[in-house]
Amino acid sequence: MFFLNLGLGEFLAIWGAVSGAVLALYLLDRSRRKIRVATMRFWTPSEKPPEAKHRKRIQQPWSMLLQLIAIGLLLAALAQLRLGSPDRMSRDHVLVLDSSAWMGARVGQMTLLDQAKREAILWVRSLPAGDRVMLVRADALPSPTTMFANNRQATEQALLETRVGGSAVNLKATIDFARQMQRQHGSGLGEIVLAGAFRGHANDLPSEKELPANVRLLPVKADTRNVGIRKVTLRRSPADAQLWEVFVAVKNYSAQVEAVPLAVTFGSAPVGSARFTLAPGAEESARIEFRTKAAGYLEARLVTRDGIIEDNAATLELPEQKLVRVMVYTRDPALIRPLLAANRWLTASYALPETYKTDVDAEIVVLDRFNPPVKPTRRSIWIAPPVQGSPIAMLSPAKNVKLTGWRNDHSMAAGLRSLDLKLDETSVFAPSAGVSVVAESEVGAVVVASKDAAYLGFHPGSGAMRLELTAPLLMANTLEWLAPEVMRRREVTGESVGNVQIPLERGTDPGSIRVLGAGDVAVPFSVVDGTLQFYAGERGMARVQIGSKEQVYSLSLPDVAETVWDVPAKVRRGIPRGLTDSIASRDIWQWLAMAGGLLLLVEWLWFGRTRLPAVQQGSTSMVEIFRRFTAPFRKAS
Amino acid sequence: MAELSIDQSFLERLERLTLHWQKSFPGLVGGHNASRYSGSGQEFLDHRQFHQGDDLRAVNWRVYMRLERLILKLFQVEPRVPVRILFDVSDSMTTGEPSKFDYARKLAGAMTYVGLVRLESVLLQPFSDQLLDPLQCGGGRHRFRPCIDFLEGIKSAGKTDFMGCVKRFIAEYPQRGLVIVISDFLDDQGCEKPLQYLADFGHEVFLVHLWADEDRVPPYKGEIEIEDAETGEVQKLNFDAEAQEAYTANFDAYARGVREVAQRKGGKYAGVTTSTPVEQAVFGPLLGGGR
Repeated sequence: MFFLNLGLGEFLAIWGAVSGAVLALYLLDRSRRKIRVATMRFWTPSEKPPEAKHRKRIQQPWSMLLQLIAIGLLLAALAQLRLGSPDRMSRDHVLVLDSSAWMGARVGQMTLLDQAKREAILWVRSLPAGDRVMLVRADALPSPTTMFANNRQATEQALLETRVGGSAVNLKATIDFARQMQRQHGSGLGEIVLAGAFRGHANDLPSEKELPANVRLLPVKADTRNVGIRKVTLRRSPADAQLWEVFVAVKNYSAQVEAVPLAVTFGSAPVGSARFTLAPGAEESARIEFRTKAAGYLEARLVTRDGIIEDNAATLELPEQKLVRVMVYTRDPALIRPLLAANRWLTASYALPETYKTDVDAEIVVLDRFNPPVKPTRRSIWIAPPVQGSPIAMLSPAKNVKLTGWRNDHSMAAGLRSLDLKLDETSVFAPSAGVSVVAESEVGAVVVASKDAAYLGFHPGSGAMRLELTAPLLMANTLEWLAPEVMRRREVTGESVGNVQIPLERGTDPGSIRVLGAGDVAVPFSVVDGTLQFYAGERGMARVQIGSKEQVYSLSLPDVAETVWDVPAKVRRGIPRGLTDSIASRDIWQWLAMAGGLLLLVEWLWFGRTRLPAVQQGSTSMVEIFRRFTAPFRKAS
Repeated sequence: MAELSIDQSFLERLERLTLHWQKSFPGLVGGHNASRYSGSGQEFLDHRQFHQGDDLRAVNWRVYMRLERLILKLFQVEPRVPVRILFDVSDSMTTGEPSKFDYARKLAGAMTYVGLVRLESVLLQPFSDQLLDPLQCGGGRHRFRPCIDFLEGIKSAGKTDFMGCVKRFIAEYPQRGLVIVISDFLDDQGCEKPLQYLADFGHEVFLVHLWADEDRVPPYKGEIEIEDAETGEVQKLNFDAEAQEAYTANFDAYARGVREVAQRKGGKYAGVTTSTPVEQAVFGPLLGGGR
């Protein structure tokens, strides 16, 4: 039995003060009253002798006692006297169910999540009926599933409907969230009950200082063995466009050494294999190469049966290997062939200018030192076009011209800075609308670009230019500018869901970065300390474009955390016993108030009714009668 | 200075009332009937021939200019019965809740306003053991403000001495008229004889008897100590229901005695308890008694 609103000392002090005041008023009422009257003419003393000789003695102690007890009962009702222990008053608990990827690990016939659900349901059933529970599912983000309620059936239903997520648990954020919920919504501070294994990344696990005192852990058996794929990276070989390099990283989460074989298939056909022997907690990677031009699915699979099946296989989609077809009309293919052969993303065909067709089957047309009668319908590169018949305005050709500058804001001039080039012979272009200057000389523009064509005033493979590094770079830039989609370099990576971090090359412009999710929807990201970070809560694809480079992330692997939470000793564990047997504290103020009122009624019926003053000839106001009737210090005589 | 609160709506209702008297007083036209005698009134009555010794100011000079005859304008005589309001300001009036003193001042103010509206000449005369400084007012409702100021400036003090005050009143105001006495009539020496003396002198007496509820039915029980508000005399006694009944009977008998004195010579009596609002009292017991 305890008071909700007052301490016992406060209650006794108030009761004592009120009782003393009532007693003092009673004795004051018993004292002779002084009255100022208009005249003594009509006053006659009563013929009866006065009854009360001892005014300082209580004449009817039972009346006084009943009144004092009634006041005590009413005061106790105001102070909200409750039955039971203060520890057992209605409280608000937050039940955190670990739904991270690790909870999908199997131990026998049950997953860890099943164990946690069972423990959580037992804990919920052990609670007193008045306690309220909020269920929070915890993985990378805490998700409240039910609000504070004492509907046990709904809570158990929500527990049973919980499924394993794909990310690791962020326990620190979850506990912060639970504390915030208890502060905002909870009336009586209950426990934060953690049901699960709570295996997470080291930064996401709280230290002993960060844990509140009201945390309880419902542990599960987590000694399961598991080996899983951490990451699969797929990229084309820099040397060979049709050669793919596959990097597979595998980690051993078990407490013992594990030997697991890895099989890599492409379109169900095996393309490579490896065998790992991993120490506890060790992570190793294997590199496998295979050759294909076709698009298809590549699967890396660990041939083993362990706790978590989801991280034993990763499937990546390989894009089709598209090569840029370039049609070169030239009388001297030997000059341009080395420039095009250096680029592995294209296939070049050579033909004489007489065989020129406007709708040739190629993405890019190169016109070497001649002007066709009709402009090609494809994107084109014009090398030293003659003045006559040129599609753009030109000046007279010049000889021994010195290059004076590159316009680096144009993609064709990206990275080109050499200024000491001497051009033996070059065409000079006149500036006009819709034409951008890429390189300038003493006599005018020598490299220009229009909407779908590049014009080079000189042949990059002849004369002194053929010995300069600028020549292949200019040609590569020009090809990339004309066919950016095809020339984009791609990497495909199989990763786990959750927080994705990508190290950026130094000097990468954050403005050139785009992260696209499913349906090419932009995904918010941040660049912190040279690392691109974004969060993917669900399994799927994400494309990261950084300039001309594109990385495709297949986020199909579960984020299995590597750190086992070292639970501090102060954390209470297990289901507290005897809660359901103990009587929950409950309000009795209603009964106390009724008892107080009843006692006052009994006292009035017993002693007070006979003292009700008579209404005399309408001259005594009803207010006065009421005042005397309700006065708590009525005369007991 | 205690402020008298008489609101405008109450004053507007009072304008419908008049102060009535029944007696014919020597030297004056009685009642409120218009006189057929000519005199120094304001209402035109008739013309007549000028006779030697007539007041030249009454000659109608316009008629003289036309007819070359001296014709006098005659005016209707108006009854100028003096209205005198005596109200008790002794200490006994300060007992009870609400105070009889405040109530008496409000009542006196209301009656004065009624008189002023009807162009009566009203004398406000406070008294306790002697007659205090009076206020003579008249001339219409716009002269009511000084009356209020006068009433607000009065303070209660002293014992009640009806006999002394009546003798002094008769000596100072020999002209008969309407005398309204507002008091609790609680004089240890008795008030019947002085009131009878006042009526016998020729005044028409209207007694307004004020009492608080506890003056008539004291709401006390048990042993009490009572103190006379005027004399300061203290008495300890045991007061019970029977004593209360005896008290009320004594009070009622005394009130009946005062009523008889008023009615014996054609006067009027109205008993008013202070728990009744002043407006209700004016249009209730006072209106019934004053007609």
